[in-house]
Amino acid sequence: MNIKYRLSFRVLLTALFMVGAVGPVMAKVYIDIEAPGFQQFPIAVCDFQIKGTQSIRSSDSGITIADNIRNYLGLSGIFNLLDKKSFLDGLEPGVPETIRFSDWSVIGADFLLRGDMTVKGKDATVESRLYDITRGQTLFSKQYAGTTDDLQALARNITADILLALTGDEGDFNTKIAFVIKKNTGSDIYTMNYDASDIKNLTNHHSIVLAPRWSPDGQYFAFTSYKNGRPEVFLRHLKTGKEKRVSSFRGLNLCGSFSPDSKKLLLTLSKDNNEEIYVLDIDTLALNRLTNSFSIDVSPAWSPCGKKIAFVSNRSGSPQIFIMDADGNNVKRITYEGNYNTSPSWSPRGGRIAYEGLINHKYQIFSIDEEGNNLIQLTFDNANNEYPSWSPSGRQIVFHSSLGSKSRINIMNANGMNARVLKEYRDQLVMPAWSPRLKE
Amino acid sequence: MKKHLTRIGLLMVFAFSLTLFSGCAEKQAVVKDEAVQEQKAVAAQAASTTTVDDEAARKAKEAAEREAAEREAAKREAALKAEADRVRAEKNAAALADLNIQNIYFDYDKSSIRPDAREILKANAELFSKKSATIVVEGHCDERGTAEYNMALGERRAQAAKEYLVNLGLNASRIETISYGEERPLDPGHDEKAWAQNRRVQFLLK
Repeated sequence: MNIKYRLSFRVLLTALFMVGAVGPVMAKVYIDIEAPGFQQFPIAVCDFQIKGTQSIRSSDSGITIADNIRNYLGLSGIFNLLDKKSFLDGLEPGVPETIRFSDWSVIGADFLLRGDMTVKGKDATVESRLYDITRGQTLFSKQYAGTTDDLQALARNITADILLALTGDEGDFNTKIAFVIKKNTGSDIYTMNYDASDIKNLTNHHSIVLAPRWSPDGQYFAFTSYKNGRPEVFLRHLKTGKEKRVSSFRGLNLCGSFSPDSKKLLLTLSKDNNEEIYVLDIDTLALNRLTNSFSIDVSPAWSPCGKKIAFVSNRSGSPQIFIMDADGNNVKRITYEGNYNTSPSWSPRGGRIAYEGLINHKYQIFSIDEEGNNLIQLTFDNANNEYPSWSPSGRQIVFHSSLGSKSRINIMNANGMNARVLKEYRDQLVMPAWSPRLKE
Repeated sequence: MKKHLTRIGLLMVFAFSLTLFSGCAEKQAVVKDEAVQEQKAVAAQAASTTTVDDEAARKAKEAAEREAAEREAAKREAALKAEADRVRAEKNAAALADLNIQNIYFDYDKSSIRPDAREILKANAELFSKKSATIVVEGHCDERGTAEYNMALGERRAQAAKEYLVNLGLNASRIETISYGEERPLDPGHDEKAWAQNRRVQFLLK
């Protein structure tokens, strides 16, 4: 209750700040971490204590799980993690826990996470407690069951609860990022965890592969591949690994995006002699054409509510972002700045669309609302920043960044702050696509 | 005189196929080297993420080995495919060199046929009309911009070239289009000279 009070006070402050800065659109009813005035939460995370008689290795587990939580909190981009060397309030083994709140506030912590762990064989039971230091209160105390084999999964669940308690949303911890590694010998799609661990190849086509797309229910993955010598769209069931060719018309078959219910897939086809946007029913493979223009229409992205589709068209002379109803009606151009705006990606929270645009001879990431107002430039560096894709929480954006021979997948907060390198590689790392929350 | 020219042409085709051969041998060596490096990278990745437990480390190692084996199999398959592609490309190159078929080039972000391309298309159409093979029109773009948009732009360029050929009297059913977007540059450079070379339509007979 109190935390909400406090947060809403912050929101009020943020909202007041925002009205003057960018306009009222950005003001939200919960804490708006996208606002430029947002301060990171200072948090102290203690190593977890091991209960009962334990081997040396399990005491390492208490450190490992805390390290994992610190890592995930850092990745969320909204926490300032305090150095554990600065902690004054040590725990004496065997003494019941009391929190000396003043010892934590003096080192600047607003929040404190403590936990303990019981290990029996491979089973690990963890109890973790989150405290609000300024108010001197416990925000949650919760038990988790897992295994010592996968402390990362336990850490992800705890971190998700911390985010849920502080921001009303569990964050992006159980997500993956798909991307294309482009080599001279051919491209393939890979996936990695949100912390860049567990890199796996999803395709083995060694061909031109592009436009990787997750279905919102996490069941399917769609992409375009030239493995048969020409562009065709493939649909892969992620659990079984079964791959099916779903679009192989003459000319271009380019993968677009899934509908929010994961039952339909948008495509760009040139079978009618011109690049147009179509919607494909995944079960029946029934096809319906949505656009009618003599120009290029490409890169369709479905809005999270399902009512609208953003896409790229050069019907006004240069590539720009347009929006239409899901049935193809009411086409409206929303970008007017610059003469090259492509790669639209719709925020899962709705309202805003991220895209790449050419400015001062560099590609940079922008976001704009669906009415075409409140344009914000998010990246400003010397690199070419392309292919934005939102996280499921709508708080972060993953994108490709290339500077000279360096090719990277980067993540930033949705307001452009706290950009960081997720993965760097000697080959081209392109077209990152953020997964929905994946149930384990 | 004409005979003399044909002889030069044949010599050029021969020289070209030689370069193709040597080019390919080099490529395969690179592929192998990359495979080794990749396995190392996978192993390093596995090592860095699984210090938690021996069991996990063993599993990761197995997975990495399995992955490496799968990758090797795919590489072999790709090598076979590349060989088939090479043979086909060689035949095409020989046929095209023989016919003197030329590429046409485009302005940045445009798919309209330039005046200089019209003359080339007329000459190409005349040569194509003497053959019965299917004409493949390949659209390409420079590296700038978005891969997806460039795929569409490449297709647009191929379509524009096809329309022009059809208007010159070639049968539309003989002509196929394919876009390679920015994925197959002729010149690997990153300047205007390279880009101008890469914004093109290429023709193949099959």
